[in-house]
Amino acid sequence: MKKKSLTLYAGLTILGLIILAAVFAPWIFHFDPNEQDLLSSLAKPSSHHWLGTDELGRDVLTRLIYGARVDLTIGFLAVLLPFIVGVFLGLVTGWYGGRLDQIVMRIVDTVIAFPFFVLAIGMVFILGPGIKSIVVTITLVGWVSYCRIVRAAVLVAKAQDYVHAAKLTGLPTARILRRHLLPNVISQAIVFSMSDIVLSILAIVSLGYLGLGVPVPTAEWGSMIQEGQAYILSQWWMSTIPGLMVVIVGFSLSLIGDGLVARLER
Amino acid sequence: METPLLSVDNLSVDISTGRGLLKAVRKVSFEVNAGDSIGIVGESGSGKSITLKAILGLLPGTAKVTSGKIFIHGKELSTLDKRRRRDLISETIGMVFQDAIASLNPVIPVGEQITEVPRFRLGLSKERAREQALQLMAKVGIPDADQRFDLYPHQLSGGLRQRIAIAMALSGSPKLLFCDEPTTALDVTIQAQVLRVLLEMRRDSGVGLVFVTHDLAVVNEICQSIKVMYAGRFVEIGSVENTFQTPKHPYTFSLLKAAPDPALPVHRLFSIAGEAPNMALPITGCPFAPRCFAATSACEVSEPEPVRVGNSYSACFYADQFGSWQSAEQVGVKRTS
Repeated sequence: MKKKSLTLYAGLTILGLIILAAVFAPWIFHFDPNEQDLLSSLAKPSSHHWLGTDELGRDVLTRLIYGARVDLTIGFLAVLLPFIVGVFLGLVTGWYGGRLDQIVMRIVDTVIAFPFFVLAIGMVFILGPGIKSIVVTITLVGWVSYCRIVRAAVLVAKAQDYVHAAKLTGLPTARILRRHLLPNVISQAIVFSMSDIVLSILAIVSLGYLGLGVPVPTAEWGSMIQEGQAYILSQWWMSTIPGLMVVIVGFSLSLIGDGLVARLER
Repeated sequence: METPLLSVDNLSVDISTGRGLLKAVRKVSFEVNAGDSIGIVGESGSGKSITLKAILGLLPGTAKVTSGKIFIHGKELSTLDKRRRRDLISETIGMVFQDAIASLNPVIPVGEQITEVPRFRLGLSKERAREQALQLMAKVGIPDADQRFDLYPHQLSGGLRQRIAIAMALSGSPKLLFCDEPTTALDVTIQAQVLRVLLEMRRDSGVGLVFVTHDLAVVNEICQSIKVMYAGRFVEIGSVENTFQTPKHPYTFSLLKAAPDPALPVHRLFSIAGEAPNMALPITGCPFAPRCFAATSACEVSEPEPVRVGNSYSACFYADQFGSWQSAEQVGVKRTS
């Protein structure tokens, strides 16, 4: 238990530092993320540019932190909506079963069978590149996991005597779902959402790398990796450091997820 | 004659399992009137809990009512729409489950769980409901109810939890309380206290009790009439007094014989040979015959229907020959099966 709490706090500390840096970036860093300085392009790391500059002379560290703003915001947003939709549908299908359950579960199967990036590319063509199409795509796909997790938990909880008791006493169904079932079934979904944020950040970065994500010149980790790729042999840090940031964020979120498992499962 | 509070007519329940269809309850009929206290006794798997669940509409998805009618206040449940049926059941019947920790929601304070029905079904204000819940908690013997109101189930002892569960079942002032082995998970001292609470509730508010258990001593203590269940059927029905003194069915006789008698010095307890029948197999003859000391070849051919013997009913061909059973067992009339 003690050790698990440590994991939770370690994860929260790492992620907290990154978020703090991203929020207060304009006060911490004196460069503008999009300010070009062609005279000092592709500079090596120095006391002036801690992580060097890219091919347009923009400060890599500054872009890295401003990129966190974009990637983390979309990451959380792209999980929040699927979370709400999925938890609601899982609760309702698990409780009522029957025809509704059949229909929703077949939709879930269809979504799972559909290749994500094909859908993502399609959505970008329909809605145009940008934050909106990324969030829409991830929402369309992401809710299925929450729906399945919560539905399974509801099916287990439904057989418990406390649910029988609530049902028997004639409480309104909305009350049973909200007060009796939801708090008992949501913990698994919360834990999963932590790793889901990692997945959606990865998806955003991958789309950015493919040029389908946030349009240039906005600083974003995926496009930074892609831009640095041309100089991978001489300026290896240009691609590697943003990649490393994705890893660190993913690591901290999985630590939080692990810690939450211990906290929520008494 | 006035309409009984609850009347069950010819109820049968099948459960589908991996090994075929299980005839869990077979043609069970009974009536409960206001203020009754009825004990349903049987081994594990005899169908007693399933009977209660079928009445309350809490059967698992694998179980199905295949025949029978259930009436509450003379209204047949299957003729009502879902909402009306649920309302009628919850107004009339409260249920106390075997395992209090499982029947209380782990994430809701116990006090709130007792106030839910008054607030959300009866429309009381939060303050009124709290007041009422505190009174009810005091009534079922929870000391310092005020301080325990906001505790979670896991913070209470087993006995207190079961009292909370009883208070919860009574919170909608039902006419009838179904108790599914409510004391099995408790030690004897706490068991006695909980039974006393149930008896007091019955005396004070006139709530009827239907008590399912495998503990004959409990039935003796709190019930007036007894129904002995075997292989999904009532094999003996009678008053507790009559049945305990002069059982009319060999199964009841053997059960009573198997109960420990504190008056005797330490001795090996009697046990009924064999095991409960496999309910997935078709039943030919009396299901108790393979374990019965009085069985004859006639018992294998057809299943005996309940017949009236004195003031009791017994589903045994030899129900009226009770006087000779004890001796029959002594001379070892045991059918080889």
